[in-house]
Amino acid sequence: MSTLKLDLENYKELLQEYIRTKDEQALYQAEQFSKQSMQHKISPDEIINVHIQSLEEIYPEMPEYIQSSMNFLLETMISYGLAYQEHQSLREKQLELKSEISVAANMQKTLLSTVKPELEEVEIGALSVPAKQMNGDYHHFVYDGKGNLGIAIADVIGKGVPAALCMSMIKYSMDSFPEMRMDPDVILGSLNRVVERNVDSSMFVTMFYGLYNFEDHTFSYSSAGHEPCFYYRQDQDEFEEIDAPGLILGVSSESTYVRYEKKVEKGDLVILLTDGVTECRQGERFIEQEEVLKVIKSFAHLPAQEIVENVYRYFERLQDFQLRDDFTLIVLRRNV
Amino acid sequence: MDFQSCVNIKKEWDIVGARQLGRDISRKVGFGTVDQARIATAISELARNIYLYAGTGKVCFEVLEEIDHKGIAIIAMDNGPGIREISQVMEDGFSTSGGLGAGLPGVKRLMDEFDIQSEEGKGTEIRVVKWLR
Amino acid sequence: MNLTIDVSNKENVAYVTLAGEVDAFTAPKLKDTLLPLTREEGQTVEVDFQDVSYMDSTGLGVFISALKSTKEHNSEMKLVQMQDRVYRLFKITGLTEIMNIDSTVRGGM
Repeated sequence: MSTLKLDLENYKELLQEYIRTKDEQALYQAEQFSKQSMQHKISPDEIINVHIQSLEEIYPEMPEYIQSSMNFLLETMISYGLAYQEHQSLREKQLELKSEISVAANMQKTLLSTVKPELEEVEIGALSVPAKQMNGDYHHFVYDGKGNLGIAIADVIGKGVPAALCMSMIKYSMDSFPEMRMDPDVILGSLNRVVERNVDSSMFVTMFYGLYNFEDHTFSYSSAGHEPCFYYRQDQDEFEEIDAPGLILGVSSESTYVRYEKKVEKGDLVILLTDGVTECRQGERFIEQEEVLKVIKSFAHLPAQEIVENVYRYFERLQDFQLRDDFTLIVLRRNV
Repeated sequence: MDFQSCVNIKKEWDIVGARQLGRDISRKVGFGTVDQARIATAISELARNIYLYAGTGKVCFEVLEEIDHKGIAIIAMDNGPGIREISQVMEDGFSTSGGLGAGLPGVKRLMDEFDIQSEEGKGTEIRVVKWLR
Repeated sequence: MNLTIDVSNKENVAYVTLAGEVDAFTAPKLKDTLLPLTREEGQTVEVDFQDVSYMDSTGLGVFISALKSTKEHNSEMKLVQMQDRVYRLFKITGLTEIMNIDSTVRGGM
């Protein structure tokens, strides 16, 4: 191994120089030497070995007990050397995993992407931001072309890769449902069976499903344990909670869901969200629901997409730009 | 096979005996101090695995002499429970948690060649080689 | 954030006292403690939430798994002394309907 020999010469010279001068510069070079050695993945036991060899060459008359004590030190360093090499290899593996996850995250983005419909009757704003690389929140728009818009918003309990895999399954199940049966209670009932049967027993999904009818401007909805959504009355500048009791998906195969209906007036907003919005916290302080609504209210005069973006920016800043949970917010406004 | 000698592993103390014999042989073959220390550490790991997981077994040594190079082979044998998932024990970070030891990946790093055969319920045989440079 | 878990047994009841926060970091520890307790047939596992100031959905998942396990193993689980914020989570998800939750002594923060 020629490189090691070269290093030995180098080390020997540095050591000799230091012993002679006790100079800080030699110590600085020793630091450089150790950094260079690390770049070449040289483990600590090899450095000790180089040290012993250098000593032998500089002091051929070295007392026997020093020689023995150095060998003793070398022996104790062998396991550290192994730990160091293992650390190196685990680091490489970690980088590999990281890049695999980012590929998967990109694939997920493509798989779960949904097109936000641009409609005359209803203006829609939607934003979903993952806390980590993979998003455990999900939202989806289905427009049946006959005056009905289906909107799903969901949150998988659990985060990261398993949650993302679960979401992909939900999305494909939803895609396979026949289009004429978009009733929220029916859809949640079917999805509950899919999740109950196919997903790991420790994984659960909350979902709010709404169906907007453009002919009579009614919004019918059902919820499977999801965060309550809100209805904003423009004329009174007030919010109403849209709550629909229902069990979280995947807990019991017998769950059934109830469909509720709400008439939407011109200019009013329907606001759908996940707990990443309502469970924001600033340091140790939880953000109360009133504060969330106050923030939404302060942007309520803006176009729908600007509302969701401004609300997100507000809470992102409040949480020092580090989301604790995936954040999804959808706003619908009746225009005509 | 020019020369083979074995150490039976029954108690912890036998690990020291195996190390000692392995080190003596390595020195005679011509290995330097650092390689002697590495070989001894590898022997420790193999012998300790036998002591901890199989109860009894033996560690044998062979001096390898070929035309262009010399080396040492260490063979660890036991009739213990065997290893079901070899790929798992060969994975970094599997056995080392808590500083229990370098594990088999460590042994592989310390040596030049590594071969393992194991059958569940029958036992394990590991053969490792280090060549003199 | 930390969670301390205390378990004591009295006859057929395992009392689990939690203090701290149940989130993605502490939930695995809770799961490892709670699930084996629910696998004892005929046992009642009583979880005291008095000092739990926060729980996220990962924590909720642990209790759903535990509930499923009680059904498989003929054991029971009872959740007591929940603070309002934590109770809300069980309420929204519909779990108050299917879990034994004693909500008599509740306090906000």
